[in-house]
Amino acid sequence: MEARVIEFANVLRRNGIRVSLSENMDAFRALELLGIADPLLFRNALRTTLVKRTGDVKPFEELFDYFFLGIGQALDALDRKIMDELGLTPEQFQEMLEQIQKLLKEMEGDLSELTKALLQNNRGELERLLRQAMEQEMQNGTPESLRHTPYTRMMMRLQLDRVQSEIERFKGMLQMLGETGEDLQNVMRYLDERMRDLNRLLREIIQQEQRKQGAEPRDYSQRSALADKSFSFYTEDDIRRMNDAVARLAQRLKNRLSVRRKKAARGRFNVKETLRKNLQYGGVPFDIQLDRRKKTKPQVMVLCDISDSVLNASRFMLQFVYSVQDLYSKVRSFVFVADIGEVTKLFEEHEISTAVEKALKGDVIDVFSHSNFGRAFEQFHRNFFPAITTKTTVLIIGDGRNNYNRPSDWVLREIKRKAKQLIWLNPESRMTWGIGDSEMPRYAPHCHIAEECRSINQLYKIVDLIAP
Amino acid sequence: MFQSVDEVISGLAKEKYLCNKNVATVVYLGTSLEKPLLVEGPAGVGKTELGKVLADSLGLELIRLQCYEGLDEAKALYEWEYAKQLLYTQILKDKIGEILQGAKTLQEAVDHVANQDGVFFSDRFLLPRPLLRALLSEKRVVLLIDEIDKSDAEFEAFLLEILSDFQITVPEIGTLKAKHIPLVVLTSNNSREMSDALKRRCLHLYLDFPDPEREKEIIKLKVPGVGNKLADEVVRLLHRLRKLDLKKTPSISETLDWVRALTLLNINELDNELVEQTLSTLMKYEADVRKAHQELKAFLAEKQAQQPSAGGSEKDHLH
Repeated sequence: MEARVIEFANVLRRNGIRVSLSENMDAFRALELLGIADPLLFRNALRTTLVKRTGDVKPFEELFDYFFLGIGQALDALDRKIMDELGLTPEQFQEMLEQIQKLLKEMEGDLSELTKALLQNNRGELERLLRQAMEQEMQNGTPESLRHTPYTRMMMRLQLDRVQSEIERFKGMLQMLGETGEDLQNVMRYLDERMRDLNRLLREIIQQEQRKQGAEPRDYSQRSALADKSFSFYTEDDIRRMNDAVARLAQRLKNRLSVRRKKAARGRFNVKETLRKNLQYGGVPFDIQLDRRKKTKPQVMVLCDISDSVLNASRFMLQFVYSVQDLYSKVRSFVFVADIGEVTKLFEEHEISTAVEKALKGDVIDVFSHSNFGRAFEQFHRNFFPAITTKTTVLIIGDGRNNYNRPSDWVLREIKRKAKQLIWLNPESRMTWGIGDSEMPRYAPHCHIAEECRSINQLYKIVDLIAP
Repeated sequence: MFQSVDEVISGLAKEKYLCNKNVATVVYLGTSLEKPLLVEGPAGVGKTELGKVLADSLGLELIRLQCYEGLDEAKALYEWEYAKQLLYTQILKDKIGEILQGAKTLQEAVDHVANQDGVFFSDRFLLPRPLLRALLSEKRVVLLIDEIDKSDAEFEAFLLEILSDFQITVPEIGTLKAKHIPLVVLTSNNSREMSDALKRRCLHLYLDFPDPEREKEIIKLKVPGVGNKLADEVVRLLHRLRKLDLKKTPSISETLDWVRALTLLNINELDNELVEQTLSTLMKYEADVRKAHQELKAFLAEKQAQQPSAGGSEKDHLH
């Protein structure tokens, strides 16, 4: 049993769950105490000692099933399915199996072990044969071989074509015997179904093995690949995973700021506080009290270009800014293509992801027009410029492709003069700035910071810039 | 101490705390292996309560340390009682004079004083805070470290020595070892991820909202006067509410408050205006209350749709 538990811990590790040696030992101590008779207690003992992250509980449960229950569950499900289809009670099903067993004995010629196990529904034997084949395959092949055509190779190893022909032969024999009626029909259907079941089981066992080996990349490794992928190539699936990454990023920033806030507790000597505090030491100033520097929370204004080309970058930026909005005294957000519209209220009323979707869908402005930065900037200046104060960070996300319209870069100059910071994030590569209708060379000098922001890794870096 | 998992269940049930086998197994392992329990889960599912109840059911003293940002050793572990030390020096001035009498040089005087400084840095002047109290206690205690996620990373690192070896190092005195290993329960709302080092030393327990049946049992246990029908409806409504996208999901403790309010108002089933007015005990945000109102209406409408037939048959019965 110990070997099994150690092996299981290795399986967990391969799947990205950190299990240390001391935790492994805890698991043994727990099992010593509880015994291994009760499956529920066994599972609980392993879970509480080996898994320490709430997010890891679900993978643990899955892997536990794969590892300790094997294909038992799959077999149960298949049995139920057959009984349903044939309309048999468990007793009738059993009867039919016995009948088949008798017929198998009468059959001439040797049958392969696998066929026998399959048709007699001998579950232990079936699982043993499949596992054995799997193990041989693993020993011969490299770990990669699991990823490439494992199914075909398993099929050859198990000689599925032989099983198939044997079943056909068996069916032929049944017809020769001349039995008729519903029973025969049922048996025939059972045989057909069994062959399909074998395929299903094979698939199941390959999947389980892949999970155990960690061959199937788990979310986190995909996420790291995602980190360098450009926003513009994101698929729906990527976006969903990206949302997680952004949430994590926000959390990380919050954590770090809470530490930084404490370190910032330097300030001027506070006479009154010091006297009061040191009364307990007879007025000897052991414990110097300093004024805590009051932290002013900055305001943020986000201007997002939501034309198709930069949609994803805008989406993540909006989402990010709103996930950390309690770090700011006020977050106002605007979206623009040719016209600019404020979406702050959307975020107050809806949950972040819905609000982002609503903001991008064109409820506020016409998203099908052509980008016109100049016009959007002018509108912004007219309507919202007074709201900018010396504490405001203005964040613009856009590619600066102005369709040869009037650039109106004077607005940026004005903003830079008034705001605390003006940051431009461009989802286009720096190489292409200024080529074609890109007005970046004109806009960039007016910004405190103008950076390219094409992937989550770059987003990570930029977070440091806009952190209050 | 508990002898088996079932004993944990019955022991906690005696203190009016219902738990399932998962929870009981972890508690049992924690008490038997003398490992700290790290309890995580949403707010209001009974994490802190678990610590308290554990102490009650084992008849042990509970020492509680509430964590917050900026909590440091002086408040969690020990502090020197400067005032007392100062006072003692004042009173003992003559005695100190005596000690110094024989000294001819300054060097000698300092040596004389140095020989005595153990007096001033002894247990006598040590003001124990929760952690030290738990370690030095004459009997075994339950140490509840509440909302550990609110504390700083430094404090978490500082806890490691206590959690793994149950000892603490005070520079002036040396290492103090626990007389009895306390049962430690740490709770966390997961507002930040705890370090791996800390997690490694603990058994992990994730507490979630209970299933409807169990929640009903909890309500009946905690609010004795509640009717079966009301409890049933409340639980059904709550499980619907928890599925909504709310700023703050109603917890078990809030549910209990609400049921108490309803029973006080003599309400036996969810159907009238009073119910709507008491929703504020359940929901803590205006936007949430609005959403809950809609859900409540839908819930009542569904209930009504089912009822006429039932009511009709009852009438027939009477005739």
